[in-house]
Amino acid sequence: MDDQHEADCGCQEYNELSRRQFVGAAAGLSAMAVFPDWLPKIVMAKNYASNRDIIVSVFMRGGADGLSLCVPFADANYYASRTTIAIPRPDSTSANKGINLDNFFMFPQAMLGLVPAYTGADLLIVHAAGQTNNSRSHFDAQRYMEVGKPVDPALVTGWLGRHLASIPPIKIDAPLRALGISNGLQKTLVGAPKTLPIADPANYSIGGSGTTQAARLAFMKGDYASADEPVHSAALDATNTVDLLKSVAFSTYKPANSAVYPNSSFGRALKSVATLIKADVGIEAAQVDVGGWDTHSGQDPIAGSMFRTMQDFANSLGAFYADVITTGYSVTVVAFSEFGRNVRENGSAGTDHGRASALFAMGKGIAGGRVLVKNWPGLAKENLDSGQDLKVTIDYRDVLSEIVQNRLGNTNLGFIFPTWTPTMLGVTR
Amino acid sequence: MRSLNSASRSDSPPAANGVESQPSTAELEDRATRDGSSRRSFFFLGALAASALLPGKARAQVRARQRTPVDREQPKSDGFLTVPQNERVAAFAEWDTATTSRLVRRVTLGVTPAEVAKATQLGWQGYLNYQLNYQRINDDAVEATIAAKWPLMSQTSDQLFNADAGQVQTQLRESTLYRAAFSQRQLYQRMVEFWTDHFNQDIDKVGYLYVADLRDVIRKNALGYFPTLLRASAHSPSMMLYLDQTASRKGAPNQNYAREIMELHTLGVDGGYTQDDVAELSRVLTGWSFQAPGTFVFNAGSHDTGNKTVMGQTITGITGANGINEGEAMLNFLVSHPNTARFIATKMLKWLLDPNPTEEQISTVASAYKATGGDIKAMIRVILNDTWLPAAPMKLKRPFHFVASALRSTNPAIVSITPVNNQLVNLGQQLFSWDTPDGFPDKMEYWAGNIVPRWSFGTTMSTQNSTTTVQVDTAPYRAGSPAAAVDLLDQNFFGGEMPLVTRNGLLAYAGTATLTDAKARELIALAISANAFQWY
Repeated sequence: MDDQHEADCGCQEYNELSRRQFVGAAAGLSAMAVFPDWLPKIVMAKNYASNRDIIVSVFMRGGADGLSLCVPFADANYYASRTTIAIPRPDSTSANKGINLDNFFMFPQAMLGLVPAYTGADLLIVHAAGQTNNSRSHFDAQRYMEVGKPVDPALVTGWLGRHLASIPPIKIDAPLRALGISNGLQKTLVGAPKTLPIADPANYSIGGSGTTQAARLAFMKGDYASADEPVHSAALDATNTVDLLKSVAFSTYKPANSAVYPNSSFGRALKSVATLIKADVGIEAAQVDVGGWDTHSGQDPIAGSMFRTMQDFANSLGAFYADVITTGYSVTVVAFSEFGRNVRENGSAGTDHGRASALFAMGKGIAGGRVLVKNWPGLAKENLDSGQDLKVTIDYRDVLSEIVQNRLGNTNLGFIFPTWTPTMLGVTR
Repeated sequence: MRSLNSASRSDSPPAANGVESQPSTAELEDRATRDGSSRRSFFFLGALAASALLPGKARAQVRARQRTPVDREQPKSDGFLTVPQNERVAAFAEWDTATTSRLVRRVTLGVTPAEVAKATQLGWQGYLNYQLNYQRINDDAVEATIAAKWPLMSQTSDQLFNADAGQVQTQLRESTLYRAAFSQRQLYQRMVEFWTDHFNQDIDKVGYLYVADLRDVIRKNALGYFPTLLRASAHSPSMMLYLDQTASRKGAPNQNYAREIMELHTLGVDGGYTQDDVAELSRVLTGWSFQAPGTFVFNAGSHDTGNKTVMGQTITGITGANGINEGEAMLNFLVSHPNTARFIATKMLKWLLDPNPTEEQISTVASAYKATGGDIKAMIRVILNDTWLPAAPMKLKRPFHFVASALRSTNPAIVSITPVNNQLVNLGQQLFSWDTPDGFPDKMEYWAGNIVPRWSFGTTMSTQNSTTTVQVDTAPYRAGSPAAAVDLLDQNFFGGEMPLVTRNGLLAYAGTATLTDAKARELIALAISANAFQWY
């Protein structure tokens, strides 16, 4: 692996860029001296030989209403279809009026937390995005997206798992390359080497006496040495990860730029990921889930459940933007959902399962500050999928393929998204 | 949607760096070899060394394990080494899969010496009958404890309406764990767990209503007839609320329940219905709701009395109170549909036998469903036969199962089960809090990496030593030599079939000096943490 690594990653200077930028900005002293206490763990980046971005992949589980997340207010059919749950136009006098993005789309007030990333040209919204398969089952649709190919029972690994399996580690001796902030491994990451689900990285310990911990972990290593996969790899990775995470000071972590992560499961998850990224322990991918999008009733994007879900989403990602993206760390974030929702609201002030939604990509390497559409289908009834849903005109794999290739440095797209020939849309800079 | 796909391709030529820039196959295989050679040779040598120590029959099993295809991943030709996903993990060589201990492992929430002895005495069929005829098993002691410790559990929804919501949740979770671990009706408890996931709800949404659902729908019918169970669920106030049936009315139907009753409860996602069928069934079910605190109602005024067509069935609209019969007829249609028989058969096979059941197994069990009108016991009799089960792969315990096993094996004195129940949060299976209607996953790929929380739980469980909550007594383990303690762990935790690697590890850790209380607890923690304790 060493040769491979050296050959692939000859960009030592770039790798240390963020750290040196930080050093320069902080005081101009020697590197060892200027890292402040709040940086969770300081290691010199001698192995950090890569110009590849770290990826934070967010799955918005439940079918997120793209028409509330990023509202096509200039399409009159939106207001005709959403009689009780529409967001007022940006040029209205309502206190709940939307935030104009490009004179066609707007954010609801709930998404205010992502406005800095948008105006900073680091947030791209891809609209009418989704998958080709038209399943309206949460579970099938999630599976297809996470696997990266619809309806193939033989393909059991996830797209991010195959990405990690087909590229050398960013940090060659990293005990843990990726994690899912989850109790169980999300399908997206299945198949990835050195990858674990860790619900709370700050409390990753086997407990008990500190003096016997090493001996007990040694027992585990021996006991699981002959275990079958995938338990075998998981157990051995776990024994190495316990010590790794113990060395990271989660509890004293202080976000940069006074960023405040919401005290929600999503906010805490992103804060943990930020801590790990800055600890420079070799994490190169994180999968985070955020739920609450299955808004069949009482959706209320102005003051109710959808408002709170979107606000938590935007404030958490907004904090991550201020804390991590704007401070020079090479990270790309993607966030998407298994499908959107019906254009027309139902009788319960909610929306049932639909088709296209909005996809989010964020990072210094993302050509952001705009809403990307392709042949925007519009909301006129005659243009809707099955007469009821926003059509999918951009396949999410086109967006991910471009990010995987240009930001994650992996050209094995045929392995990561089998049978898909991507169309590059100019998602990355 | 193929048209969209091809349309987007024709919009612009394939990207220059897309497919064309793939490394050559040789290059990829070379890379994979360097990545993977050490592990593969390690496997090979490890298996070779282990098999040399085993008797002939066990060696044959080890060889059989090696032949088991472990990597179903495609496309293989790319040569990358994803972590193999394997749903067919063969039983440990030390497990005598042909004997009743195999059946005990599969139908209980954890082997105990008493259960193994009972099965040995009754034989395969006798023990299966004993567990299936669960109402004949005296469970008075456990139910009396539950009635005393968690009194809300015997209350009606009308009573619970005024109870403290947090207390309702806590009592529901703790009593469920206690009953699962200590009920003598173990197979019944396994099926309660199964149907709880099948008709999963989120207690944060349904609150006190869930108590009656779990008691009067799930536990009442867990070993009954599926059609009765499905109808009971469809008349459950809790389910009506959970899947937004309460918000569905004429002219504005809500599709949530109509979809999930077909996708998750009866036909399965590939069961032959379309989006139009979902919409039409949602019209049929308009008016199905409940009245607070907790009574099912059919609101004729909310019912869509127009005609509908669901899966080719024409339903003539009925006005007035009899409008409910449209929905009842559809429930009858769904439970009688051959795809429901297949779906339930497949899911029960996955739960009780094999994550990848064969077509022959599915059709055999589905036939039993059809022949008996959905008799769950009859289906289990077909599934748990002494040919299929001995050949079946192991299954990974989910956290709830794992915790129940640890309770059964440590058999502590329990005044309050709270500290143990609370561990299910860290372990990822806090009961009744999986918020989507598919229920907690029963997939190895999902739980396999969730391993440090289990090791941590081993420590927590083994160090319970409080007379007011949970107390694990180490005296039996300290009564003899360290080697005797390991033998006792074998009996209590591993059904007398502790794998050699675990025995050697525990013996090495135990040392030769007389065990202290602390060290005995560490040995118990290691037994709970051991690979073999995670499987059944």
